[in-house]
Order: sequence, then C-alpha cells, then structure tokens
Amino acid sequence: MSIQIENLTKIYNPDTDFPVTAVNHVDLQVEQDEFVAVMGPSGSGKTTLLNMMGGIDRPCEGTVIIDGTDITQLTDKELIGFRRDSIGFIFQDFSLLPVLTALENVEFVMQLQGKSRTECEARAVELLNDVGLGDRLSNVPGKLSGGQQQRVAVARALAPKPKFVLADEPTANLDAQTTYGLLDIMQQLNEKEGTTFIFSTHDPRVIERARRVIVFEDGKVAEDRVARAQKPEDRTL
Amino acid sequence: MLLKLAWKNVWRNRLRSGIMVAAMVFGLLGVILMVGFMKAMTDNMLDNAIKYQTAHLQIHNPDFLVNEELEAWLPRADAMAREIRGISGVAGVTVRHVVDGMLASAASTRGVRINGILAEDESAVTSLEESLVDGKFLPEKGRNPIMVSKRSAKKLNLRIGSKVVLTFSDIEGEVSGAAFRVCGFFKTPSTGFDEGNVYVRRTDLAGYTGLNESHEIAIRLEDGDAVDAFRQRVEAVVGDSGIVRDWGEVQPILAAMQGTMGISNAIIIGVFVTALGFGIINIMLMSVFERTREFAMLMAVGMTGGKVLRLVVMESLMLGSVGSVLGLLASSLMIAITGTVGLPFGRMAEGLGAFGLDAVLYPEVTMATYLGTLGMLMVTSVLAALYPARQILKKRLSEALAERN
Ligand SMILES: Nc1ncnc2c1ncn2[C@@H]1O[C@H](COP(=O)(O)OP(=O)(O)OP(=O)(O)O)[C@@H](O)[C@H]1O
Ligand SMILES: [Mg+2]
Repeated sequence: MSIQIENLTKIYNPDTDFPVTAVNHVDLQVEQDEFVAVMGPSGSGKTTLLNMMGGIDRPCEGTVIIDGTDITQLTDKELIGFRRDSIGFIFQDFSLLPVLTALENVEFVMQLQGKSRTECEARAVELLNDVGLGDRLSNVPGKLSGGQQQRVAVARALAPKPKFVLADEPTANLDAQTTYGLLDIMQQLNEKEGTTFIFSTHDPRVIERARRVIVFEDGKVAEDRVARAQKPEDRTL
Repeated sequence: MLLKLAWKNVWRNRLRSGIMVAAMVFGLLGVILMVGFMKAMTDNMLDNAIKYQTAHLQIHNPDFLVNEELEAWLPRADAMAREIRGISGVAGVTVRHVVDGMLASAASTRGVRINGILAEDESAVTSLEESLVDGKFLPEKGRNPIMVSKRSAKKLNLRIGSKVVLTFSDIEGEVSGAAFRVCGFFKTPSTGFDEGNVYVRRTDLAGYTGLNESHEIAIRLEDGDAVDAFRQRVEAVVGDSGIVRDWGEVQPILAAMQGTMGISNAIIIGVFVTALGFGIINIMLMSVFERTREFAMLMAVGMTGGKVLRLVVMESLMLGSVGSVLGLLASSLMIAITGTVGLPFGRMAEGLGAFGLDAVLYPEVTMATYLGTLGMLMVTSVLAALYPARQILKKRLSEALAERN
C-alpha cells in the first residue's frame, strides 16, 4: 500500500476577491504500516488535506495516487465505492449511529460492502474485543463513555479492512487518560492488522506517540520528521 | 439493517413522530366518518326514494311525461302488467290511475296527486303499507276510502273517518269531484312526497274520471342492481305502447348524487391526504436536517446516495404506515359501531325529511374506500420523502461533515 501525493492544491472561493489556499502544492508520500500524525495550527489545512486523501473533497490541482490509482480522476460513484472499501474514517465527534448498538454500528459498514451477516458479525465481535469492548456489544452509543464510543469508531473504521485509516482530530474530545488508551489501541491495531493510520491533531500527547510527524503550516508541509515512537510502557502521564 | 435503522430513526423523536401519528389517526377518523356518513345519506335517500316513490322501473305514455294529463293514458296497461309479472326476478308490478286535483277538508285545501291503486299490487311494489301510522290501508269494502299522509292530515285537520272532497277534471274536461272518507294515515321519510300524494282505490277514481284505463306502471325487482338487464326485457313487453324509465331517470337528481358521491368522497380524501403529505414533508425535513452530519458520515463511509434516499423514504413510509394503519383501524371500528348502532338525528330529523332521509342513519364505508385511502397515504408518504432526501443529498460532503449540530 502506498499513498503518493503530488502538487496537491486546494483553493476555496477561487473566483472571488478572497480566495483561500488551504492546501498549497503539497507533495507527500505515505507507506504501508505507517502511523502518521499531521499537526499544525488551526486553519493550516489539515482537514482539507485529509478530505482530499480520503476522496471526500476534490483538489483544484494535483494528484492523490493510492496503490497506483489516481483517486482525483474517479467519478463520484467510483469514489463512494473507494471510500467504502479502502478507507476507514474516524471523526472527532465519534459519529456513531445513536440508534444502533456498538456491534450494529460496526457491522453496518461491512453490510454496505455486501458482506454476509455471519462474516460481518464475526469480524465486528473480533474488532470490538480488540478495542476492549467485548462486553459492551449491545450497548447503544448513549450508554458508552466518549472514549468507549471512539473505540467503537476505531473498530468501525477497521471493519471493512481498509488500506488506511484517516482520523481528523480523533482525540480532541477526549481527556488525557482516554487519549492514551485510544492511542494504545490504534497502535496495536496498526501492528496487528497492518493498517496505515493517518491522523491530524493539535495534541502533543498524540504527537509523542506518532512514528512520523508532518508539521503543516499555511497549507504547506513545514517539517516531516520520523519520531522515535515511545512504547506504551514508557509513556508519561 | 437498513430497515431496522429506518424504523429506529422514526422513533428517535417519539414526541414528534407520535404527534404526526395522532394527527393522522384523528384526521382519518374525521374524514372516514364523514365519508361514511355521506354514503349513508345518499344510499338512504336512494333506498327511500325507490322504496316509497319510484320503484325500480316505471312505464308511461310518452305524452304523460310531457304533460301529466288524464288523456295520456297507457294502452294495454293491465295486460302488460300481467306479462311483466311473469318475468322471473320481478317482485311486484302495480298499475296506477293518476290524476292531479285538489284535496279539501272543512279546514283547508291543497293540490295533490291522486293515485288510484289496487291495494294488493301496490304493496308488492312500494312500502306504502308499512308506512301506515294510523288506520287501515285502503280496505276493499266501504265507500270511497282515501289514504292521506299524517302530515297533510295535520295541516287539513283530519282524523280517521273525516270526510274530504277531491276535485279534478274528468275525461270530458269537466270539473268532477267526490267525497272520500279518510281510512288511514301514511308517513314516508319524504315530507315533500307526503304532502303531495293521496291514495284511493283505482276503481273508485276511474269511476269519477270516466276513464277506464291507467297511466302508470311501477315495477319492483328482486335485485335492485339488475335494473339494466330487466329494463330490456320489460321494454320488449311494452314495445311502442310506452316508455320504460329506471329510477335514475325518474329522479335524475338522486342518480346524479349517487354518481358524484364517489368523486366528492375521493376529493375529500384527496385533500386530506395532501394536507397530511405536507405534514410528513415538514417532519421529514426537520428530522433530516438535524441529522445532516450523520448522513454525511454515512456517505463518507461509503453509503450511496441511492441508499440514503431509500433510508429516508423508508422512514417516511414507516411513519405514514403506522399513522394510516392505526387511523384506518380506529376508523373502521368507529364505522362498525356507528353503522350498527346508527347515528340518530333527534330534533334535526324533521328537517331531514325534506331530503327524504330517515331519522337514524347507518354510516358505511366500502373496503375499496379503506384500501384506496391507504394506498393514497402510502404513495403520499413516499413522495413526501423525496424533497427532504434531495435537500440532504445535494449538500457537499465536505461541508456537511464540517457542519456542527
Ligand atoms: N468550505 C470552506 N470554504 C472556505 N474556506 C474554507 C472552507 N473550509 C476550510 N476553509 C479554510 O481553509 C483553511 C484550512 O482549513 P482546514 O479546516 O483544512 O484547517 P485545519 O487545519 O483543519 O483547522 P482546524 O485545526 O481548526 O481543524 C482555513 O483558512 C479555513 O478557513
Ligand atoms: Mg480541521
């Protein structure tokens, strides 16, 4: 798996007097198994970048090539299928369906892929066990804490066996303790499933756990460094 | 899973959905009762008209239809009647000698249609005998008996045994008249009919008019729905001697009422269903807009626009179905009860007599009406989902995701 971004540019309101260049001629490469944090001040263009990588938004210029496919050239319909099968999404506000149980929330995205009931259930149970919610399968989101909800969201993102997971500020609504718990789980799954994680964050706690940190400023990559990821045991609270 | 999701989404806001369902149930109760009542009213009017006045088929001399004159008598009337009586499925045939005249008592005078009848034949055709409220139904014995309505009796201050005088033109064009003695009072549901008709023995009347013929044949069939079939057979018997008309031609207003009732009911139901449709659109719009981010998330993780549309339509259809089914069940229960017990009109009954209505009506709603209403509601529920679904689908995904709610 590889993501290759070339000359990626997004300008909002291009034809007005106040165009906003949210992402400015960015080149970037992400490989299999990476655990990447995109950090930067508010308004630096992190969300815009992730949206274009995830086929949610289209760039004005440039290409996003995922395993040899330039997703900026896909039709809307093809993009939907691509998002469904190849990308896991984690959102800041968890975005679970409040009327479905934890198990159903995870199963649902697999059913969109047309997988069989038994297959969906088996994988959903396995993933919810992995994120430590094996005893909360039939709880609805309202009966779970924020951290637990985000863990369900992690299980949901991984359920369709995506090529990579995009998480836009996944820990912004969580306290420190919960953040570390979630990061542990994401790291474990990153290793176990071999799934690439790319997340944006302001949070220094998250950055210290990333193996690669991309610093984004004014729509550009200001710094791209490989961090020495700490093991869970070494962490400081 | 989509079905389950839709069903649960419908009950996310129980109060809102509950209010919509309640609106549908109460609305349907009102509309269905009204439709059932209107049908009962027209049916009752028709039944009464056929029962007491028109019978199913009538035969006249064509000239009589233009001008109800004594000379416009129907040739071979009794012979034709005998022949028609022989047709199986004919319940009764009566031959009347009819003349317009004046009914005078010591107190007052009024214009009436004098029907000369054979009591036994008349009873086989109309329900006049059952409508007798006092006295006797034209006895064979006794001198010049006459039956007047209870209503006329009151106005003319008559009692059983009172003497009245009938005046009319005889076949020579001379004013003729005779004294009759009141033998009975009848009372049909129609006040207009009651005031305008009196009954005497045919032989008595023919004696005074000097015409030993008759003017009108009325036929009652065993099956009131088979009028068209019998009409042809009766016409074959009548030939050129007269004109055969069914009840609808005799009382075209009633026929028109029956004909338009279906349409007017459909319009009432249609307007109501449309109003409910707007209610559903409103509810679905609210429900969809407050879930903008949720739909955005679903589309981000790979739900197609088609599936989103299906979800919204299902939700709308489920809401509509619950309301319709509960509403129609409640309505049919209410129609079953009022249709058995009847809706009494008490003091208003007197006024209804002008329309030839009974004092108690039994609302009735056909299965076709229930199913038609249900079908219209289902279609409307689906249509009501389209606009809200479109509103959500036309948003840009990245913007919908960024929305806070
Ligand atoms: N739909 C839009 N229309 C116009 N400008 C936009 C739109 N979305 C984002 N922008 C602008 O683009 C720039 C980058 O926004 P973006 O949301 O990508 O930043 P971010 O790094 O994710 O910020 P934050 O940390 O606050 O989430 C900002 O200046 C923002 O105001
Ligand atoms: Mg952002």
